[in-house]
Amino acid sequence: MAAGEETRGAGRSYLVWLKRGAHELNHRPFCRLAFLRILFHHDSLYFIKKHLLSNSVARLTLALALGALAGLNGGCDKSANNSANKSAPGKPKVALVMKSLANEFFSTMADGAKQHQAAHAADYDLIVNGIKNETDLAEQVNLVEQMIAQRVNAIVIAPADSKALVTVLKRAKEAGILVVNIDNKLDADVLKQADLTVPFVGPDNRAGARKVGDALAKQLSAGDNVAIIEGIPTAFNGQQRRLGFEDAMKAAGVNIVSVQSGRWEMEAANNVAAAMLNEHADLKAILCANDNMALGAVSAIQQAGKTGKVLVVGFDNISALRPLLDKRQVVATADQHGDRLAVFGIEAALKILKGEAPPADQITAVDLITK
Amino acid sequence: MTLRPKKLIEYTAMLVIWLGLVLLFGLLSRNFLSARTFITLANRIPALAVIAAGMTLVLIIGEIDLSVGSVLGLCGAVVGLALVNFHLPFWAAILFGLGLGLVAGALNGLVIVCLGIPSFIVTLGMLEIARGLAYLTTHSQTKYIGSAVESLSAPVAGLAVSPAFLMAVLVVVAGQVVLSRTVFGRYLVAIGTNEQAVRLAGINPMPAKIAVFALLGLLSGLGGVFYTSRLGSSDPNAGVGLELLAIAAVVIGGTSLMGGRGSVVNTFFGVLIIATLEAGLAQIGASEPTKRVITGVVIVGAVILDAWRHHLTIQHFALLKQLFSRTQSPNQSCLTGDRNCD
Repeated sequence: MAAGEETRGAGRSYLVWLKRGAHELNHRPFCRLAFLRILFHHDSLYFIKKHLLSNSVARLTLALALGALAGLNGGCDKSANNSANKSAPGKPKVALVMKSLANEFFSTMADGAKQHQAAHAADYDLIVNGIKNETDLAEQVNLVEQMIAQRVNAIVIAPADSKALVTVLKRAKEAGILVVNIDNKLDADVLKQADLTVPFVGPDNRAGARKVGDALAKQLSAGDNVAIIEGIPTAFNGQQRRLGFEDAMKAAGVNIVSVQSGRWEMEAANNVAAAMLNEHADLKAILCANDNMALGAVSAIQQAGKTGKVLVVGFDNISALRPLLDKRQVVATADQHGDRLAVFGIEAALKILKGEAPPADQITAVDLITK
Repeated sequence: MTLRPKKLIEYTAMLVIWLGLVLLFGLLSRNFLSARTFITLANRIPALAVIAAGMTLVLIIGEIDLSVGSVLGLCGAVVGLALVNFHLPFWAAILFGLGLGLVAGALNGLVIVCLGIPSFIVTLGMLEIARGLAYLTTHSQTKYIGSAVESLSAPVAGLAVSPAFLMAVLVVVAGQVVLSRTVFGRYLVAIGTNEQAVRLAGINPMPAKIAVFALLGLLSGLGGVFYTSRLGSSDPNAGVGLELLAIAAVVIGGTSLMGGRGSVVNTFFGVLIIATLEAGLAQIGASEPTKRVITGVVIVGAVILDAWRHHLTIQHFALLKQLFSRTQSPNQSCLTGDRNCD
């Protein structure tokens, strides 16, 4: 409340009045927060002060409304006790904080988590949140802060950035919340600097990409030229996949003539692939760090009239790739069981909460898909 | 008629900039100067070209449309849905996509014009709405369509370019004719120059403004169809950030962001420059950060060049006019007893 007074000078005297009038609210911090959020929304505070408080009848109405809110407050408090108080027996509340739910991979992951919760409704409550686009770090930090305010028991997070999220996650841990890291691994050095340990549950992207690369290498011979289309260069999982591809190609003695970013997008990858095909007429294969980019590369190959002459591999095993795998236009992809990744994270969190398992890293399976 | 040589000069200037880029990449990479490169270029620009053409008209009336990328995504998603889930024929799916684009554009226009809300805000809202709807209709999933849609982007027999490219060129030519040879086009320039004056002259600017937004919506729909056809799949993330690319292309083409001045053909050159730049940088294998820096520099550089050239042409023409009026008109005005005559 003090912060509110400082930032809103205009509403100060009103706030003092409000403090006295709604004294009861002060005893229940969780509901007070929600209540204040409504009041502060869109300058309603100033509006109330200007138009309502000059009139004694309106004052009375407001007092009545506050009374009603206080009543609500009681109900609210009860549920808050249930979920937020750790020592109380009851369902733990798990928050799943995802990257972009616009991305098929993450929406499948979220759906899997929701189904799991529906099947285990008695065991825990789930809140699923995602950000608008993959690189919107600030929004994800806000989400984590909201989850801290909601006093969840555990946060299962797929960080949009492996470094920038560490600070806020540390704050969550200090608030007594268990943090489990899925999908994109937090940077080990930064974690060490922040003196924080976060269990990671997820796939080894490098090993997965290595498998895909090895499957491709069987159809290539030493000395062939290939190109890699990587994801956003700053993403950890993208870097790992690129390294995995490079490992496999090096082992097979194949030359990598070009590595460029397709920014995880189909069209960007299509353009890059078209340029690669123009520049390197003898290209034998294009390795794509996700399936969307593989789709873009396949259509670029088709437009260049080189279908069948240039091989393509992807990563993720999305449904749209199925017909291309059947037609052998895509040689291989990797399935990291996206629908179950979040579930693995949630299960690990529940186990740690119950004290059944130590907070340790856990590597999940990545399977090679060739047909 | 006096406009003609001036326009020709403008077109050649843009052409020279583009050729300069092509030559530069020709020097820097092994295989850039090949027929293959230009065919690839021709096949990748249709979607951006038609949207930028429509965007030119919107900027000419002094408005802006930020929703084009999302509308493209939505229309592409609906085309995919119609083909894969409802098994409609390709032409019906195209009609669906175009119709939806038209509706989105018309909605933009109606809200902007009838309720008097700034186009920046309204189209920003549409950007979110259309993208959200695209995710909803596709469940955020990429759909593979395959040969059913690829005919539009496959090269025509006998010609190296695709039907989509030919249609885009047609749209650009039609756009330029409408802009400089029809009453409607004149209205647009007039609205962009001084809307109040247009109103005082007894012309209602509202229908023309709505029509321009609806047209851009329709063209975004067409862009969505081209996009889907080129990639052979419908992607709910299609066209993210395309609005900025389209606006950049229009501005590189010398259209004023304040309205009242612009050319669709020059916009097409702007599209060519952007696409060439992207293709060339990919071909020489530049890294992602380098690409971004160079693209930004070229966009600003092209606009500076254009402003400079524009300034020169104006000076040049003003000088010519002055010379012309010194030799001919003074005696005329002196005869009529003009006081300013010296």
